Amino acid sequence: MAVLEVKDLCKTYVVNKRQNNVLKNVNFAVEDGEMVAIMGPSGSGKSTLLYAVSGMDAATSGNVMFEGKDLTRLTNKDLATLRLDEMGFIFQQMYMMKNLTILDNIVLPAMESKKSGESKKEKLERGEELMRKLGIMEVADNDINEVSGGQLQRACICRSMINKPKVLFADEPTGALNRTASNEVMEELVKLNKEGTTIMMVTHDVKVAAKCSRVLYIVDGNIKGEYISPEGADVQEKDRERRLNNWLMELGW
Amino acid sequence: MFLRILQKDLKRKKTMNIILFLFIVLATMFVSSGINNVVTVMNGTDYYLDKAGVGDFIILTMGDNAVGSLNEMLETEGAIKEYRLEQILFGSQGYMTKADGSELKSKNSSLYQSMEGAAITFFDKENEPITKIEPGHIYVTGMVMEENDLQPGDVIRLKHNGVELEFILDGMAKDALLGSDFMGNTRFIMCDADMQKLLANEAIYDHYRGEICYIDTDDVKAIKAAMAEVPNIAFDGPRSTIKLAYVMDMIVAFVVLILSVCLIIVSFVVLKFTITFTITEEFREIGVMKAIGLSNGKIRSLYIVKYLLMSVLGAMVGFFGSVPFGKLLLDSVSKKMVLGNDNAILINFLGAVLVVCVILLFAYLCTGKVKKATPVDAIRSGQTGERYKNKTVLRIQKCPTGNALFMALNDVLSSPKRFLSIIISFGLCTLFVLILVNTTATMKSDKLIYTFGTRSDLYLSDSQVMDNLGGGTKEDLLSYMDKLGEELTEEGMPAQLALELIYKYPITFQGNDFILTCQQGLNTKASEYKYIEGVAPESKNEISITPQISEMFGAKIGDTITIHFGKQDVECMITAYHQTMNQLGEIIRLHEEAPTDFKFAAGSLHYQINFLDAPDEEEIELRKERIKKLFDNDKVMNSTEYCIDCTMVAGTLESVQLLLLGITLVVVMLVTILMERSFIADEKGQIAILKAIGFRDSAIIKWHVYRFGLVGLLAVILAAVCSIPMTELCINPIFGMMGAVDVDYNIDPLQIFLLYPGAVLVMTVLVAWLTALYTKTIKSSDTASVE
Repeated sequence: MAVLEVKDLCKTYVVNKRQNNVLKNVNFAVEDGEMVAIMGPSGSGKSTLLYAVSGMDAATSGNVMFEGKDLTRLTNKDLATLRLDEMGFIFQQMYMMKNLTILDNIVLPAMESKKSGESKKEKLERGEELMRKLGIMEVADNDINEVSGGQLQRACICRSMINKPKVLFADEPTGALNRTASNEVMEELVKLNKEGTTIMMVTHDVKVAAKCSRVLYIVDGNIKGEYISPEGADVQEKDRERRLNNWLMELGW
Repeated sequence: MFLRILQKDLKRKKTMNIILFLFIVLATMFVSSGINNVVTVMNGTDYYLDKAGVGDFIILTMGDNAVGSLNEMLETEGAIKEYRLEQILFGSQGYMTKADGSELKSKNSSLYQSMEGAAITFFDKENEPITKIEPGHIYVTGMVMEENDLQPGDVIRLKHNGVELEFILDGMAKDALLGSDFMGNTRFIMCDADMQKLLANEAIYDHYRGEICYIDTDDVKAIKAAMAEVPNIAFDGPRSTIKLAYVMDMIVAFVVLILSVCLIIVSFVVLKFTITFTITEEFREIGVMKAIGLSNGKIRSLYIVKYLLMSVLGAMVGFFGSVPFGKLLLDSVSKKMVLGNDNAILINFLGAVLVVCVILLFAYLCTGKVKKATPVDAIRSGQTGERYKNKTVLRIQKCPTGNALFMALNDVLSSPKRFLSIIISFGLCTLFVLILVNTTATMKSDKLIYTFGTRSDLYLSDSQVMDNLGGGTKEDLLSYMDKLGEELTEEGMPAQLALELIYKYPITFQGNDFILTCQQGLNTKASEYKYIEGVAPESKNEISITPQISEMFGAKIGDTITIHFGKQDVECMITAYHQTMNQLGEIIRLHEEAPTDFKFAAGSLHYQINFLDAPDEEEIELRKERIKKLFDNDKVMNSTEYCIDCTMVAGTLESVQLLLLGITLVVVMLVTILMERSFIADEKGQIAILKAIGFRDSAIIKWHVYRFGLVGLLAVILAAVCSIPMTELCINPIFGMMGAVDVDYNIDPLQIFLLYPGAVLVMTVLVAWLTALYTKTIKSSDTASVE
């Protein structure tokens, strides 16, 4: 069942009286439990697509159906509630509230949400559990500038997961991290996906995209191709990367 | 390259640069006008008296044979450098009438003189010297026009011993000598031709002439001693006494002075914040510049040049704004005085230069951090993580409030320095308004009653008193008072009347002669007054003096002074100190049996009506209205109204209070708008991420508004708590100058703790809310584009 369905999605920016069609009639669907990567050259519209389908940015035309609800018809208030309760976000820049500790930053969306009906204590315990799971419990009381980039990005993942979202949107989640930190973060995302969270991410990194079940390749605002990752335990990681790389080369990557 | 970086910076950081520019303009306006006002107020009365040509010692003679009585002293006294004489006529209050025939209300007797014969300069309401008056036209001094609802062009008539003249009123003249309410005489200035019509009358010529003499001298004491021999003196005193007479006006002037100082402090505090804030914002650029190898000096000079350009431009705009703004403040001080200084423009210009210098100093000090900045700052925005104490103060799970309030509270507690400038600005402005509120409330209450006399149920002003003093005896006046008391009793208001009489008596202390004002009650006893030290005089050879007299002559409790009562000299012992605002505190209080004589009477206060059947306040108010009708006299007052009438400045203070509340609210509004815009610019990334994770606009606006609400609340609480001791600290010296050394302030908790702090807080929250609406323009998708 598709958790996200995009129909004829267009997004146009007007800069200095010049029209820039960033997304042109984009159509695709994301099934429940999928892990989809969006790839493409710089300026192709990857991030714009991610923001438009997550309701963070308004589409110029077309529809984005999220669990049967058309995001393009929702008010800002409803969109905010939807993002709070049903979606999670991870960004390349690891933005957090400067004056809060790591743990407080993580539980902040839970405290704002009324979805679960849990007590403050229960929400806090959930935050701690997530931190423990992602191996950053020791920095719970640290300020945000007192942790490494990898720890901060894992904290961002915890924050995105605190309200148990249906879909996790990630915009180049490993873009600002070194290889080791990047691997750690991806391992966590794969784990989350295996536990049932749908993930849609934008990435430039073939190694990262190779961990996804499906890759959409976008060029000039159009989806040029779709790659289904080979399934099965017998397919080695290196092999997955090589196959994806070959496919990308065919499309002019 | 240098200029291109600057150009880019000015364009790219438009919001922050505009905010800084506006602060510079405001700071220049406040600082320039503030310094000018401080200089003006400090020289206030001296400037006015010098401009008018009032000398160092002033003498006023009145009555039969008054003209010429000064001549011998003026010719023989060696301490006189120069003197100027002007001839005057005097008359009763009732001589002047309006076009409808009603009497022109004024205080005490009136003086008439010609413009041509004036020895000092009078000024019109635009502060221009009055040089000529047309025949049939007249100028009037003091607040007579306002009190009688007169307008320029109105007709007034003078009827003096059969001479009838009609005048067209040209307006109010500012009279440096008699213009203050404390001097109390109204002067009518006409042309010489009209004056001659009055002088042509024999009765006026013989009995109503007088002189005013303005003496330039370096030895006021010698002139004062020489005056002991001169008859017909209605008033004599040094320039300092005239200056003191403007002390009530100077209260308002000092209020403007304190406001100016307050605005200067606010300006510099806010500027320091903005500069530090904008430079902290630049850490990323500074890190990048360091990384590519630019020297510290080059980087610093880049920012200093930027601030130099902005401060010069801002100061120029602010300089032009400071002139009307300063004038607005000064105009509120007094309609009776000419305030100003001859170097106003230069001072305003120097104020603007000072602002530029201070900004450059701040910029230099703040850019000092450039030395410590490393390329890592480009990544970490100035945060290195080298901190040994947690910045975060509150924990979300332990805070019982909602998220918005928690974040606001945590921000304030985690970065108090960031909000300090708001607390200082709002706190100072509110404190200043509250000091004024306390002063006005005291002036509008009967808390000062004991500095004017004793407490009575009602006070009655009656111009007949002077006539009784002129021709009658003490017994005549007592029987007149008894008659008034009987009239009231017949009307069902059993009462006894009392009266304070003022005498001028020569005294001798330690071999020196002086003339001093003495006060004695009719139907009141010396023991009924309040004394600040010692015991009340108990016999006719005991007196009480004020601390001012004690300081002037070095006389203390236990000393003896000789009072020459006319027929007998009495050695009087000082038994107590008392305070009074009459005669600016220079008064001796006599025992009720002291052998006073009406020949030496110089005036009186109001009749005091003491009801014998102890009516309540409501009944007293009813009786007040009945007595007004009974005696056909509007001047019947309760104790509060009497105090207001005596101080005469409560109304002005009240209007200044409103003006200053307005200025405070405008300052609060501007600081809130600019600070909130700065915060929004600084926190764009955080706002975007909050929106991205699902926070609604309303929650983000609440977070920002709560922050201002919290710091505003803290500021007004601090101001309210400090207002009582600060009122005593700031206003006691001013009351002291007027004679009141121990003032019990009237503190209205509703105004101090609720009304005025509430107004500042409501303004803060309202403006913060309106400005925080701007956060709506930041989209969640901006997370991707925030630097």
